[in-house]
Amino acid sequence: MQAPYVLETQQLSYRFGDGTAILQDLDLRVPAGSIYGFLGPNGAGKTTTLRLVLGLLRVQQGQVQLFGQPFAPHRLAALRRIGALIEAPSLYGHLTAIENLQVLQMVYQCPAARIGQVLSTVGLAGTGTKPAGRFSLGMKQRLGIAMALLHQPELLILDEPTNGLDPNGMLEMRELLRTLNQQHGTTILISSHLLAELEKMVSHVGVIHRGRLLFQGTLAELQQQRPGNARLWLTTSDAAKTMSLLQARGLDAQRHEAACSVPLLAPAAVADLVRTLVREQVDVYEIRPSQPDLEAIFMDMVTA
Amino acid sequence: MNAFIRSFASEWLKRKRSLAAWLVVCGAFFTPAIIFTAKLIRHGHLAAESAQPTYWQHLWKSAWESMAIFLLPLGVILATSLITQLEYKNNSWKLLHTTPQRYSVIFGAKLAVVLVMMGQFLLLFNVGIYLAGVLPGLLLGVPYPAAPIPYAAFLSDDGRYLVACLPIVALQYLISLRFRNFLVPVGGGLALWILSVAVLSWQYGYLIPYTYCSFTFLQGQPRFAQPVALLPWAVGYFLLFTGAAYGLYVQQREKG
Repeated sequence: MQAPYVLETQQLSYRFGDGTAILQDLDLRVPAGSIYGFLGPNGAGKTTTLRLVLGLLRVQQGQVQLFGQPFAPHRLAALRRIGALIEAPSLYGHLTAIENLQVLQMVYQCPAARIGQVLSTVGLAGTGTKPAGRFSLGMKQRLGIAMALLHQPELLILDEPTNGLDPNGMLEMRELLRTLNQQHGTTILISSHLLAELEKMVSHVGVIHRGRLLFQGTLAELQQQRPGNARLWLTTSDAAKTMSLLQARGLDAQRHEAACSVPLLAPAAVADLVRTLVREQVDVYEIRPSQPDLEAIFMDMVTA
Repeated sequence: MNAFIRSFASEWLKRKRSLAAWLVVCGAFFTPAIIFTAKLIRHGHLAAESAQPTYWQHLWKSAWESMAIFLLPLGVILATSLITQLEYKNNSWKLLHTTPQRYSVIFGAKLAVVLVMMGQFLLLFNVGIYLAGVLPGLLLGVPYPAAPIPYAAFLSDDGRYLVACLPIVALQYLISLRFRNFLVPVGGGLALWILSVAVLSWQYGYLIPYTYCSFTFLQGQPRFAQPVALLPWAVGYFLLFTGAAYGLYVQQREKG
């Protein structure tokens, strides 16, 4: 039976040598088959969490479970099923792209044909004898991803994978990750501070700030998490008069050039507001609720 | 065992075109190239030398003179440090430690690469000595040396030098696994090598693990005689340093 969570941490905490708390009681749960966006500003603890999960840092407190089993006693079995790219890609600069992949292919014992396949997948099939050290930052990032994909992992852990990629590269990366997730069932844990980028591809989100997990759930749940953030936008024939009418009702009204906004109202209050505006001979062109985007919710969470 | 062989193959590929790989080739042919050049310059003596029954022994000794005391210890210090530096320089310890390999396999495979490179160095050095011994004569029309090559004695010497180097390999491996900064293992190695040269005439010189290459070359000279059998000491130091290096490596809190 497949474990519901591919990755699960329980009460995971980590402190630096000087006692500074980096992570506090982190309960991360990455569902099987998901694209899990691990969001947080720089220094929030994302990379430390991923390094603990992969055994690159020794766990001080708490537990890490991968594929339903504790990580430490099943380290090799778990790592066989994981592909990872942590921070800047690890490449042997004096070797070619093919040789870099051969280094891993020997360890993972995957078919040699996979090397050509993953190089084509990331668009590096024609790099020939050029040493990886002479690649651009974007090419290095692609090769790092090719190395993570080589053994067809069930769980892909990517730490800031779009660093160094141009807009087209980011688009291609997004498509690649979606394809891996949808066609091959690969679970993807992707950390980033590029919130808008993650919003376009993730199914689940974890928000971390100062070592604490502030939110965890589906993207839809996150968007519903803070309805107080949602506002009602009004575009009328007279924005100034609309503002004064809204303020006269005691609403927290804000002017946005030709439009105004107020906190989301109940349906009856919206109808009453429209009647008032029409009665005051203000034409109502558009009235719509704004769904706060991930970035707004995120900023609201981390500044709260 | 299969895991170790796969890991070794992977590590061996990493050294391709690396500075450590070039160091082995260039270091092995450096002294033979000097001997070759000297023989060409002093070509008037070639025929007489070539006819001597101890031609190969003299050639062997002159080739090992600078190699045993200077070049071999320094080469081992550099090559061992460069092999671990491959991971630091490329920020790839984290890649290596997230592959499904036991830490003992990773540790052993890297050490095995250094040891095989030493074997490769000795092989190339022997080839270089042979070429330095016969090429000048062939180029200048001097007959091939009359004396047979004493293969068994030379192989025995190779083996003793290999064992004599083991403590340097193990201690350099320990230091270079612990420190990211390349200057630490190289600087530490150089300091120990200078110390080893300074204590060659001391009766307790054998206590310094970097002295064994020099003592191997100088053996038979009463001034440098040591009260103990050196090779068992070399093996002992190698085992001690390797055990310590493995313990420290496994206990590292951060693995990339």
